[in-house]
Amino acid sequence: MNHPVYDPRGVVSADERPAARRVGGLDGLRLGILDNTKWNANKLLRQLRDELQAKHKFQSVSYYRKESFSRFADPKLIETIRAENDVVVTAIGD
Amino acid sequence: MPGRAYHRPMVVAEGTDLIEYYYERGFSDGLPLVPPTPAKVDAMLAALGGEPSRLEARIPPRWGSLTREVLAVNMVMAGCLPRHARIVRAALLALVEPAFNLNGVQATTHMAAPLLIVNGPAAKEAGMNGGCNAFGSGNRANATIGRAIRLVLLNVGGGWPGELDKSTLGHPGKYTYAVCENEQASPFAPYHVEKGFQAGDSTVFVIAAEAPHSVVNHVSNDAEGILDSIVSAMSTYAHNTAVAQGHCAVAIGPEHAATIAKQGWKRNDIKSYLWMYSGNKFRELAFEHRYGKVYNRNLPVWYKRELDARIPIVPSPEHIHLFMIGGEAGRFSAFIPGWGNMTNPVLREIEGKAADQPRCVDGTCLL
Amino acid sequence: MHDGISLESLGVPTAVIVTTEFVREAKVQRAALGMNALVPVVIAHPLSSLTDEEIHARAAKALPDVVAAWQGKLGEG
Repeated sequence: MNHPVYDPRGVVSADERPAARRVGGLDGLRLGILDNTKWNANKLLRQLRDELQAKHKFQSVSYYRKESFSRFADPKLIETIRAENDVVVTAIGD
Repeated sequence: MPGRAYHRPMVVAEGTDLIEYYYERGFSDGLPLVPPTPAKVDAMLAALGGEPSRLEARIPPRWGSLTREVLAVNMVMAGCLPRHARIVRAALLALVEPAFNLNGVQATTHMAAPLLIVNGPAAKEAGMNGGCNAFGSGNRANATIGRAIRLVLLNVGGGWPGELDKSTLGHPGKYTYAVCENEQASPFAPYHVEKGFQAGDSTVFVIAAEAPHSVVNHVSNDAEGILDSIVSAMSTYAHNTAVAQGHCAVAIGPEHAATIAKQGWKRNDIKSYLWMYSGNKFRELAFEHRYGKVYNRNLPVWYKRELDARIPIVPSPEHIHLFMIGGEAGRFSAFIPGWGNMTNPVLREIEGKAADQPRCVDGTCLL
Repeated sequence: MHDGISLESLGVPTAVIVTTEFVREAKVQRAALGMNALVPVVIAHPLSSLTDEEIHARAAKALPDVVAAWQGKLGEG
């Protein structure tokens, strides 16, 4: 007689969400920088910011810090970033 | 079909070594899994209330769907009995509360593992051990309840070492880490009563925890002496609580508890003393600024950053979660560091009932 | 990835920088959260123990990928 066998993992079910529309040129855009406060994320992001600013004419550059590096960002912070920026760079997942 | 376990039927040939089969599928925590049978899964499902496809939670970081059937399968594999089911489920529901940050606990390089401590009649009904060798082996309820939680975190949550679980060292609590308070031998009120529940309520408490650090004291015959030894264990900058704050636990053994109680001290006196007299100097946490000027944003802003300023181990006595655990022979207690302020412990009544008074497990009702 | 996915789903192109040690987790997270199209910018691990000079080098290397992520030109490594 055959033995039934079982899978303990459960399914992963996620409806695919569309990513944001991509941009063309960067001049005139508002740049947001989200620092998750992990060690050296700030140094990396500041370097990137300086180099990006040297190469492109952003309308504005804004720097945001997460309250806790391990938790998801506060929804209010995410909404603020969304309202104030056209492109965002964030670090660091390590 | 009502009453029958539902799953996409899979079978293997008669004579297959099922223990090896489940090892090869990659579902094991390293120890042999109990091969589930329809009867065992059905019995576990019944203890969970039936409805095999009912979703209890999604477990990070994989966000797998923990249906009742999947939970039942993991529990049978762990070696649980149906009488353990309510506790395992309650613990998992506590772990997925946002305040706990299970996503972070699963992924961290720190060795933190969820520690479950049960209070109330449910502990005895399940056959749990809060006495001699509580954190050790030999008790089926402790062993399999803790193991079932870990199997769910591995299989449903995807928290496999080297893949999504980046813990540098791990610790043995990642096999199983579940105990109950020794309420019968305790001269103090139980933990859940301190937090506003009735003695007859049953609760689960989960905290992301390092391994217990033994505290020996065979000499002191007063509260202060015993607590000074626990203070000594707390006052190192090696464990995560010292550098990342948050919450920690203290387990006081019955002999120590008896001495402390004889002096008339209560829970609040113990927690306050431990908080007051433990700590490090800022120069230690800053490594004397040898590697650059340190501020340490993990510490509350109101801690002074002068080199000789006292840095408390935790921000308040309420961040110390106090339990009476252990056997009645031996003058030992334990300090159990946490992970840091990136997680909050969760205290939850097994069927989800609220406490009678506001609960302040994570200090958020302190102004 | 979680914050990056939140911002992307709100319409903001986001370059998410991770180290090589984190790529697997990033892919699992984006699958679980339903945004397999979000390609992270990957730099060498570690970051936490680097000198300022080494961090500068990481930033310089990541820069073209950050721009490519915004412009939809970043391929999976």
